Amino acid sequence: MRFVFSGWRFCLGLLVLSGAFCAAAELSFHQKKVVAGLEPLMKEFCISCHSSEKQKGGLNLEELLQSGFQPQHGEQWETLVSYMEKREMPPENKPQPTDAQRSSIIHLSESVVAHLKSIVVENPGRVTVRRLNRDEYNNTIRDLVGVDFEPAADFPGDEVGYGFDNIGDVLSLSPLLLEKYLDAAEQIVDKALVKNYPPKPNKSRHEAEKMQRAGDSIRAEGSVLGLYRDGGGRDKIEIKKAGRYRIRVRASGDQAGLEPPKLGLRLDGKELKVYEVRNSRRQMKYFDHELKLEPGVKRIEVAYLNNYVNNDHPDPKLRGDRNLFVDYVDVIGPLDLPLPQLPKSHAMIIPKHPDRKSEKQVARNVLNRFASRAYRRPVEKRDVDRLMRLYNLMRHDGGNFQEGVGFAIQGILTSPHFLYRWELDPAVDGDSRTLQSYEIASRLSYFLWGSMPDDRLFELAKSGELNKPEVIEQEALRMLKNPKAQALVENFGGQWLQVRNLKEMAPDPEHFPAFNESLRADMLEETFRFMGEVMTKDLSLLALLDADFTFLNERLARHYGIPGVKGDEFRKVSLKPGSNRGGVLTQASVLTITSNPTRTSPVIRGKWILEQILGTPPPPPPPNVPELEEGDKVDQTASLRERLEVHRSNPDCAVCHNKLDPLGFALENYDAIGAWRDHEGRFPIDPSGELPGGDAFDGAGDLKKILKSREDFIRSFSRNLLTYALGRGLEYYDQSVVDEACKALKSNDHRFSSLITIIVTSRPFLNRNIETAAK
Amino acid sequence: MNKSQSISRRTLLRGMGAAMALPMLDVMKPAAYGATKAAAPMRMAFMFVPNGVNLHRWTPSTDGARFELPFVLDPLAPVKNDITVITGLTHDKGRSNDDGPGDHARSAGVFLTGAQPLKSQGSQIRVGVSVDQAAARYMGQDTRFASLELGAEASRGGGKCDSGYSCAYSNNISWRDADTPVAKEVNPRAVFERLFGDASSGVSKEQIKRRAQRRSLLDFVIEDARALDKKVSGADKQKLDEYLTAVREIEQRIQAAEQQTDRQPIRMVGDLPEGVPDSYDEHLRLMGDMLVLAFQTDTTRVASYMLANAGSNLSYRQIGVGDGHHSLSHHQDDPVKLDKIARINRFHVQQLSYVLQRLKAIPEGGGSLLDNCMIVYGSGISDGNKHNNENLPVLLAGGGQGSVLTGRHMRVPQETPLCNLYLSMLQRAGVPATSFGDSTGALRGLEG
Repeated sequence: MRFVFSGWRFCLGLLVLSGAFCAAAELSFHQKKVVAGLEPLMKEFCISCHSSEKQKGGLNLEELLQSGFQPQHGEQWETLVSYMEKREMPPENKPQPTDAQRSSIIHLSESVVAHLKSIVVENPGRVTVRRLNRDEYNNTIRDLVGVDFEPAADFPGDEVGYGFDNIGDVLSLSPLLLEKYLDAAEQIVDKALVKNYPPKPNKSRHEAEKMQRAGDSIRAEGSVLGLYRDGGGRDKIEIKKAGRYRIRVRASGDQAGLEPPKLGLRLDGKELKVYEVRNSRRQMKYFDHELKLEPGVKRIEVAYLNNYVNNDHPDPKLRGDRNLFVDYVDVIGPLDLPLPQLPKSHAMIIPKHPDRKSEKQVARNVLNRFASRAYRRPVEKRDVDRLMRLYNLMRHDGGNFQEGVGFAIQGILTSPHFLYRWELDPAVDGDSRTLQSYEIASRLSYFLWGSMPDDRLFELAKSGELNKPEVIEQEALRMLKNPKAQALVENFGGQWLQVRNLKEMAPDPEHFPAFNESLRADMLEETFRFMGEVMTKDLSLLALLDADFTFLNERLARHYGIPGVKGDEFRKVSLKPGSNRGGVLTQASVLTITSNPTRTSPVIRGKWILEQILGTPPPPPPPNVPELEEGDKVDQTASLRERLEVHRSNPDCAVCHNKLDPLGFALENYDAIGAWRDHEGRFPIDPSGELPGGDAFDGAGDLKKILKSREDFIRSFSRNLLTYALGRGLEYYDQSVVDEACKALKSNDHRFSSLITIIVTSRPFLNRNIETAAK
Repeated sequence: MNKSQSISRRTLLRGMGAAMALPMLDVMKPAAYGATKAAAPMRMAFMFVPNGVNLHRWTPSTDGARFELPFVLDPLAPVKNDITVITGLTHDKGRSNDDGPGDHARSAGVFLTGAQPLKSQGSQIRVGVSVDQAAARYMGQDTRFASLELGAEASRGGGKCDSGYSCAYSNNISWRDADTPVAKEVNPRAVFERLFGDASSGVSKEQIKRRAQRRSLLDFVIEDARALDKKVSGADKQKLDEYLTAVREIEQRIQAAEQQTDRQPIRMVGDLPEGVPDSYDEHLRLMGDMLVLAFQTDTTRVASYMLANAGSNLSYRQIGVGDGHHSLSHHQDDPVKLDKIARINRFHVQQLSYVLQRLKAIPEGGGSLLDNCMIVYGSGISDGNKHNNENLPVLLAGGGQGSVLTGRHMRVPQETPLCNLYLSMLQRAGVPATSFGDSTGALRGLEG
């Protein structure tokens, strides 16, 4: 918990050090009355286990009575009420209060809860800057650059806090990761930009000295062909595509007589052009001719047309030997091909190629636009100036336009402005501030899409519309319908249900020969499609626990014993009334991740339901006592269930295992990979039981009904989603958002959209605390 | 991966070893014989196994040099004279100390730090600098990589790891400073490319240009970070510092590479698998190869290696144990489970033995590379059922350049901090440390 500097919080800080001073000063008349009523009851029934000396389950009621009247204590009081209402406390083997005494404890505690809730704590909290995690990095690159190849696949794993991998405080950056960022930036640019553009036309080279010769005194002179008398060389050329071609001859000549050497260029025997070669032997020059060519094999010929030798001419100027030298003939083309289609990524970054003169200006525009999108806010001129330094450096090193732009983009993709989502504190007064529109755009997009904002969000940010709650709400609902919202389903859902861990599960093949990689993939697919349906089609959240449909392919349907589903494709399947499937609890993914490799574990399943579904984790076992596991030193001929009863014979263990084990028993009809079974070995399964507080059930169907009826589920779901949305652990002052979310859900048929609406317009989602150092 | 591939790959690594790096080390051989000090650099490695061990089958029954290797340690027979089994060491800070459950997370958090991990899901993670990183600050200055962090089980990507502790504690043993875990690399190919990628064809003009370009990129982002630095505060500032530290480290690495222009090219004859191998044995072995290579080529002198994450529930079907390791470790004294645990422990020790044998086979400065090593192997919990932190299974391999008397089972007084051993190691490596973690002094008797 972080303390900010307003009066009562400061007092609280002292309180920890010297309880009495502040507490005495702050106890109101109301609180004194509560303490007077509760103290004797608690002394009689509770304090022996929950005092300053002994704090079972981490609860110190002595302290709570003395100084637990601040908003942050609300949760403890609520827990207290809940335990008393469900009769989970005191434990069975301890003296029990009368019903009147019990309800008196409940009423007094509830009055504290109500009082604490009436204190409005206007504290939006402060999210630590968030580095893009692996999924966010992949998605952002996909949307920014248009290449979808998971560049983050080999990044080291992101650290997890509060159950999620998008928590700013925990996401760290090691040199190893930075190296991967550098490499990834290089790869991304390589894939996104076409270096060779506009493309150079094809060129086939025909070395003259290797040509077929016609005539005397024509011979190879090293790498050129020397033509000393009339005659020539010929070669075959193959034209694949019709179009304009350039035929380029590299040639030189010995000058003598009245005219220069004449070079004839012929195609299939037809003279195309006669060149006068005025350059001397050592200065080779190009002689070009352009023409249209049709496909086919053709004969190209270079000929020397005007040999001259006269060493005895009376005019010394006309004495000499005229010769022609040809190095090679290039056939270049087609020259008039339409420019190739650039990949989407290239066009996204460089929409129009510059000519030579406009290169710099275009580079500036390109980088300005790219950096603004990558940093998710407008960039300033000096940012672009600095990027141009990278561009110029690469040009100086011999790179072309695209390489220059690509190099600057590598800088952008490695910059802290890209890799982190900053919400910088402006120098303003006050404890907190409203987020700016661009910051809101990113909060929305990373929450709902796990990626950067789209053009529409950027526009709304630019116009300032995104500061309006009704626009934010509207946008959130629009975004949920976009396929990109699958990121929310898989990242939030996969971590909330912990099915992400499915890839590490290794059911023992001897016990579960049916399990293979295809089935593993199917299990996950079912859960993601199912959650996607509930979340993006705006169904009731209660459907997550109990639904009359699911998504199956043939393999998974067979695993479940559901007939009539054919083929590998997943599709929505209606479940018959009385089906033993429906809802996440009976999906193979969940059932597998809550099992051991060789068998089910009712304890793990029970713990999973308490933690993930109900959000009421069992209090930790006392320190230095090993975690209880099933399979104690009991006769191995007993059923697992009988063996587990041992847990509950010890009162210290029973408090938790009375809660944990029955939840797991209800799912015992599903084996460790989620297939239905009636027997465990030779023992028939008994899926009946009773939860503390008296709710009895017989099997998974009853359990779902009980769980659905409890507010704990929607509360827990809301807390988890808010944690994921904010990227930080929840604090007591976030409680009001959770309360509001539960209220909204209840009055809107538990529709997912009502929860989203509350979250995206909540105080912590749209505001943040300012830290003093920045002021 | 098929068998023929794996053989060709391994052959190559060995072949490669013979072809490279030796020249450099031999140059350093002093004129006098008996090469002990300064002949070759000291190396240090730390290997972590999760969930404690079956202590009855780990601990030798007799002390001193005439000890016999029990079942778990038996694979070490070929290097028996190069190891020191140390019984009686404790990590007090791995105990609950009023923090409640979460022993597995703590066992990894404390393993190399000797500090009590702050119990937190993530609002703040904090434990202490780890011994490998402390060593790397001194021993890492002359090598391209100050240290190397390896693992053979990917960090857990979702959900919760251990009661109230952020997964950062369970997934890492190396901590650069109290707040910053150093991520481990689990892909052997990525390790190879990181260590030797730019040396696969010697130093070309192209590479020199590339390095210069990379440095200009780093200069660019450093400017970005510095400008930001004036505007951020609190936890954001800490994150920015992390970024800057990473940038500087890579800069130094490039600098070191630029100075080392005479490096021998290291060629890959065959192929390493593209990603993480399917088989865990193969994976462990490849990571072991990387560790050996990194030491052999003096690319780094300090390494840490998590054979699996804390609380790992991997199953070991290759040795006929289908149950999850963690769930087995709560054995409740069931003899069948205890036997399976011992087999898992022995399997891990086999991997250690492979590394040690390879190090021993590499001649260096008149002895072997192993003689210039100090390698700690152990777990942060002693018994997976009791979750206790005294009497930890720990062994030290390698002679530490003649400073450790090996080939014996050494018993130290109960409750001796494991950090005393770390302190002794740091001192032997020339690190001017007077205490480390919760050490009470250097470990006595290591030299015999």
